[in-house]
Amino acid sequence: MPSPIALSPSSPPPSLFLKKKKSSLSQIPPFPTAASYLSALHEADARARGQVVTPTSTPPLSISSSLTSASGDTVLNEPDADRSGLTYPLTAPTSEQVFTTVHTEFGHCANQDYRCVSQHDSEKPVAEHKIEEPPYYILFTTYFSYLLLIIFGHLRDFFGKQFAKSYFTHLVPYNGYAPLNSDFDSFYTRRLKRRMDDCFSYPVTGVAGRTILVYDRYSEDCNYTQMYPGTKTRALNISSYNYLGFAQTSGGCADAVEESIKRYGISMSGTRREGGTCDLHQTAEALVARFVGMEDALISSMGFATNSTFIPALVGKGCLVISDEHNHASIRVGVRQSGAHVRMFKHNDMDSLEALLREVISQGQPRTHRPWKKILVIVEGLYSMEGTMVNLPKVVELKQKYKFYLFVDEAHSIGALGPHGRGVTDYFNIPPRSIDVLMGTFTKSFGAAGGYIAGCKELINSLRLRGHSGPYAEAMTPPVLMQVVASMASIMGVASPTSSNPKASSQALTVAPQADEYIHPGMAPASSLPTWLSLPPSLSDGSEARERIRRLAFNSRYLHAGLNKLGFITYGHPFSPIVPLLIFNPGKMATFARMMRARRPTPIVVVVVAYPATPLVTSRVRFCVSGAHTKDDIDIILRACDEVGDILDLKHGHGERWPLEEIMKRSVELVNSL
Amino acid sequence: MSAGNATLEPLLTWLTLILAQLERTFYKVPGSAVIARYVRSSHQNDPGRTVLELILIVFAVRTLMQSRSRDKSEGKLIKFSEKEIDELIDEWTPEPLSAPLTEWEQRDLASVPVIAGPNGPKPKILSTGKTVINLASYNFAGLAGNEHIKERAIETLRKYGLGSCGPPGFYGTVDVHLELERDIADFLGTESAILYSQGFVTISSVIPAFCKRGDIIVADRAVNFAIQKGIQISRSTVRWYDHNDLKSLEDVLISVEKDRRKRGTPITRRFIITEGIFERDGEIVDLPKLIELKHKYKYRLILDESISFGSVGRTGRGLTELYNVPASQVDMLVGSVANGLCSAGGFCAGSTIVTEHQRINGTSFVFSASMPPLLAVAGSEGISFLRNTPSALTSLQENVRAVRAVLEKTEGIAVVGHRASPIVHFHLKIPCIANGSANGIATNPTTVMPPPTGPSFDYEAEEKILQDIVDDALANGVFITRAKRLRGQEMVETRPTVRIVVTAALTKKEIEKAAGVVKGSVAKVLGKRKA
Ligand SMILES: Cc1ncc(COP(=O)(O)O)c(C=O)c1O
Repeated sequence: MPSPIALSPSSPPPSLFLKKKKSSLSQIPPFPTAASYLSALHEADARARGQVVTPTSTPPLSISSSLTSASGDTVLNEPDADRSGLTYPLTAPTSEQVFTTVHTEFGHCANQDYRCVSQHDSEKPVAEHKIEEPPYYILFTTYFSYLLLIIFGHLRDFFGKQFAKSYFTHLVPYNGYAPLNSDFDSFYTRRLKRRMDDCFSYPVTGVAGRTILVYDRYSEDCNYTQMYPGTKTRALNISSYNYLGFAQTSGGCADAVEESIKRYGISMSGTRREGGTCDLHQTAEALVARFVGMEDALISSMGFATNSTFIPALVGKGCLVISDEHNHASIRVGVRQSGAHVRMFKHNDMDSLEALLREVISQGQPRTHRPWKKILVIVEGLYSMEGTMVNLPKVVELKQKYKFYLFVDEAHSIGALGPHGRGVTDYFNIPPRSIDVLMGTFTKSFGAAGGYIAGCKELINSLRLRGHSGPYAEAMTPPVLMQVVASMASIMGVASPTSSNPKASSQALTVAPQADEYIHPGMAPASSLPTWLSLPPSLSDGSEARERIRRLAFNSRYLHAGLNKLGFITYGHPFSPIVPLLIFNPGKMATFARMMRARRPTPIVVVVVAYPATPLVTSRVRFCVSGAHTKDDIDIILRACDEVGDILDLKHGHGERWPLEEIMKRSVELVNSL
Repeated sequence: MSAGNATLEPLLTWLTLILAQLERTFYKVPGSAVIARYVRSSHQNDPGRTVLELILIVFAVRTLMQSRSRDKSEGKLIKFSEKEIDELIDEWTPEPLSAPLTEWEQRDLASVPVIAGPNGPKPKILSTGKTVINLASYNFAGLAGNEHIKERAIETLRKYGLGSCGPPGFYGTVDVHLELERDIADFLGTESAILYSQGFVTISSVIPAFCKRGDIIVADRAVNFAIQKGIQISRSTVRWYDHNDLKSLEDVLISVEKDRRKRGTPITRRFIITEGIFERDGEIVDLPKLIELKHKYKYRLILDESISFGSVGRTGRGLTELYNVPASQVDMLVGSVANGLCSAGGFCAGSTIVTEHQRINGTSFVFSASMPPLLAVAGSEGISFLRNTPSALTSLQENVRAVRAVLEKTEGIAVVGHRASPIVHFHLKIPCIANGSANGIATNPTTVMPPPTGPSFDYEAEEKILQDIVDDALANGVFITRAKRLRGQEMVETRPTVRIVVTAALTKKEIEKAAGVVKGSVAKVLGKRKA
């Protein structure tokens, strides 16, 4: 079928348009009719393709309507849309290529070279995470700028209290009330963070996919208040935890969720143990258990609460928790609520862990020196600020020797790591059942919300009964459950009850035999899914999700490698979709975020983090790569970093450097050489 | 002396320099002005003394640090050789990660009915396939299954997708979250509100965001589990007052003030924490009186309206509407979007200072993804339903009266709680005593609180009887539930109860009939027990 797109280049090479960059006239849509014509063409094209690919299972109405609204929005609000690469791909598709996704949500990238398998090479030892040190002058200026900020802040406080008392009434004792937040406690927030408040908490609208629509805002009073003129900007989104690109408004998962709303409504109106349990909960829990390869699993309606309300049911008085120093706040809250003793070890440092284990087991409990009832080691699969991956083989080895229980928080790694997306165990090819408790969240890779805990049946039942969430916290809602089920089933692939369909599953998935003798990682049996659920073929044979996983692996590696070759200092594992780029200086950090956002034609929104979320000196920008990004998107980000990095003097890496063009050209070679 | 001064000269200049620098930062610390002035004047009078004092300070700090680090390791480490350590490691056998479930616990877990399909006033039970009348779910105004809300949710899905994929600080603040926050604030009449993604963790986060070590919390003895956990994390000084007894509260407030006067310490932050409608027993706090006390003794009020928001007042605005008190009088008003609006999440409403503070300090706000946009829209739609349908709350109240009328006449159980409460708890009139017969024990049947003295109850036995009642009612087509508790983890062990949640989605006839079934089940189970 000749595609209409072949008639007219809806996505011209960028250079053609880039020339007009400076012309102010082009701020107004230069060819409104042409633009709308192009978009109409594109729309018609996409609709036609949508029908070609999914003739029966996806209602064409919903697909086309969502496409219309998405591109309608674009043409009206976004004069830059056509040359930014955000709405239409920069690389024009050929006429045979068929895309069913909306490019703004899930990028069109057909080149099979831009794929990679996320797997640990068992021949090689687990790479130690090396930390590159910046030159001393960077450290010095960083400390110095903090000092300056602190001194200046105190001066402002001092004079403010003399001359602008009204600003301080809520910070000092007033009318017999102690201040809710004393001037001392809030100093950091008021005097340091407020200076860069424009980089945080941006309100957005629409889906947090490959691109995101952010509300424009400005402040006239140094970030005390933000003004919203009401306009929006579409920006490349390298910030959301949308690792596999399931944040979508159309496609098989969204259709399934719509159906679930029609069938189940919005809410279960109660707690799990008091009548808020429905059949979807059971379906989802069974599926999660299969997905991660454990005997049983429970789910909870919030990822944070999964840690904070179930860890107290695992350990208590007389128990010891050994926790990585960079563990997430939810783990800390959970441990604190449990009443167990806590010790920390240096981030991902196995020697430090072993030394600590030897000490605590031999010394026993403090004062009494009684042996510990049990020791629980809590680590994360992928650390959210560092991008480091836990050295799981070593931890499991230590576990054999020191008999502790192991809790792995896979919030970021589940779905995102491993050849089958089953997380860090899959990546290292370690049997999941050699770990006691696997925890994870659905907020990230699955585009849903909530969390799970998986383990042996007895453990999970005990947690269901003794965890705080069971009797007191609301159950997960049906639409969220359905997103979990649909996205998870599409990653696993659905084994049809009659034929095992060897073609579709030949590549990486083992054919699932009988339902009971499940071999991990296998497919989801059709019987384990709701009967009314009909996933489109590309989802149920697992091929689409496999693409997502491989694209994510490629993109992660490419960004890591590209940034290093440009001369930046990054942290983390090459396969980690979290790529922290070290900036050090707090002032540069805020400027970096602003410059990225101000870039045209492709604005980029980034997450920047500084003290107290990181150590004082290592302020950073944290990129979260997605499988929805295309190679072109990563190129855009590399180019932006290259230019901004030169201006801000951020390139302090010691390794070999390549020019940007070479990195872009030799990307595949670069990725495979890691 | 002069020779000594000469050698000290460079040292002193250096010290003065350091001091000057320290002073600048130090000066702004509260109370530091006094110290600074003291140091300066003493240095003027006698520079030698400064050195002496500095040495003293160094000593003091060192001792302090030492005692703290000793505190951490608590006692000296015993020296072992590597071989001994290996032996100790070999010898150590940990307890199993989870204690096996008792027989009763297994039954408890298995007794939870699973609903097939949507929840609502008349759900279908998966195991039997029968449709039952639902008096267990929080569906006060009858929002569950509302078709308009479903449509709006689907529209939102098609525009926003499902998950927000990020915490609020990092592009997870979607405009619909802000709209719901605004809607809640408008609805209640507060300056602003902040949205959390789960109801349970909301107050557990709000409390430690404000209450720090050294602050004073005065709380009801029977507050719900989430509040208890919040208080535990806050590490503040807690004083408890008797359950829903404002006289006792005032006594505590007076004694706290007395203590403070005696010690002459400066005022710290002080909070009263209680619930609007107690989740534990359906009592309602006397809000006007509470507000009066709070103003009189200069406390801030953290009120948990997780049950009362969306269920009492003319349009469901909660306790403040019921008592006609402006919601702005409550400093931190915490409610549940999940319970009151049949969606998910929780909120804290209050002044802008209060909510903005939480956007940086509310642990579960900052470190968790924001709630899915379609659930936020469902919340907003719920509010507009409540605004426009005051009849829902009227029929809810009628239904409450109908349920209570039947249950209060039922033999063998005691109905507790306030008459206006949409959750109705009942427990056994005659408690089971841990060892011996159940006869002749004088307890107060109007409260779920355990008596301060006397024999201990056999809660498990009571729970079993109540579970029999629940099971029997379900078999007869009425879905009720025991109020599940984490025994052994709660601060007070209250009497086991059955909790009936009244809904406006059922007609008065249906409600009366359902209550009649419960009555029948009570009679049957208790009759069997006597026999
Ligand atoms: C390691 C870890 N655990 C738990 C969570 C909390 O998950 P959620 O955002 O779903 O509440 C996060 C999210 O940031 C996380 O990084």
